[in-house]
Amino acid sequence: MELDELKSIWKNNPDFQAKAESEIALMLKGTSQSIVHKLKRSVWFELIFTAIAGIGLLVYALTLPSGALKWTSISILVLFVVYSFYYIKKLVLLKRFNPAIENVRANLEILINNLTGYLKFYKRSYTILYPVYFVLGLLFAAIERGTDEFIEILSHPKTILYLIFVAGVFFFFSTWFTNWYLKKLYGNHLTKLKGLLNDLDV
Amino acid sequence: MAIEEEKKFINLINEHQGLIHKISMMYEHDPDARNDLFQEIVLQLWKSFPSFRGEAKITTWMYRIALNTAISGFRKSTRHIKTEDLQEVHLNISEGAGDDREEDFQKLQWAIRQLSEIERAIIMLALEEVPYEEIAETIGITQNNVRVRMNRIREKLRTLMIPEHGT
Repeated sequence: MELDELKSIWKNNPDFQAKAESEIALMLKGTSQSIVHKLKRSVWFELIFTAIAGIGLLVYALTLPSGALKWTSISILVLFVVYSFYYIKKLVLLKRFNPAIENVRANLEILINNLTGYLKFYKRSYTILYPVYFVLGLLFAAIERGTDEFIEILSHPKTILYLIFVAGVFFFFSTWFTNWYLKKLYGNHLTKLKGLLNDLDV
Repeated sequence: MAIEEEKKFINLINEHQGLIHKISMMYEHDPDARNDLFQEIVLQLWKSFPSFRGEAKITTWMYRIALNTAISGFRKSTRHIKTEDLQEVHLNISEGAGDDREEDFQKLQWAIRQLSEIERAIIMLALEEVPYEEIAETIGITQNNVRVRMNRIREKLRTLMIPEHGT
């Protein structure tokens, strides 16, 4: 089948059901389903959530007497501040993203980089920071109880085994849940984008 | 000023809506999904409209955004994922008062939808008489690669559209 033959079939296409001007005008007020728009929405949600949780935690921390709980709250607050900077940086990057100026390949590469970075960040924060906070919480509790009592409790093999078991279960489920959630959220789309980029290189 | 800009944009879409319809039709079979994609392309064009300075042809700019939206930017809702076969195409033709021309067009549409997303973009641009140089720029591959791919695509379409293979 020659290209000219295909072109002649293509040109003979039946008329499309044209959209009215009012319908097009209405479309401009709709919500985008694009992946970049969804990413922006997610980052905005995280930023607002972090800000609200941060303010709440700050108010709570101010009411606490000096001790383990207060220091744990303050360390979480520091982390929230760092996260906020990351979210703002991400929003600036996403705002700069303009599919108009890129060709299909460049557009795919930028999207893959954006999504990979986004997913990596979440994976790290959930799978590394949660166990870190688990250990940190234990440490603050130990300080609160006093070093001697803490060492005394830790010297029991039963306690050590119990802590290892809880940490293991916690780490396993947080990792499993994070992987499942991220794959469901953007992972499948990322795999599709990578496949498309590979298709361009074949 | 903003109202003027919106009017100008709506006129532009009105004038070139065939292009958006064709891309939506090539990337989505389901009418609802096709409509969603049409709307998403219009939204993306509208967002990029202020940055369009008229350096490129309006259709080149539109193809680029529309194809990027259809290929990588649009995340389909799972409710739209549905398989399609040639029998269904034949059924649609016989239900409507279609003639040979429409049947050929429907078959071509179906055959194009069996290609990969990148191949669909290349054949669509070629069928729209876009020069190979511009196709290469829009997709981000070499002109030589466009030629090689076009040969492969023609071969695939030939196989798909011959009745013995399709039915």
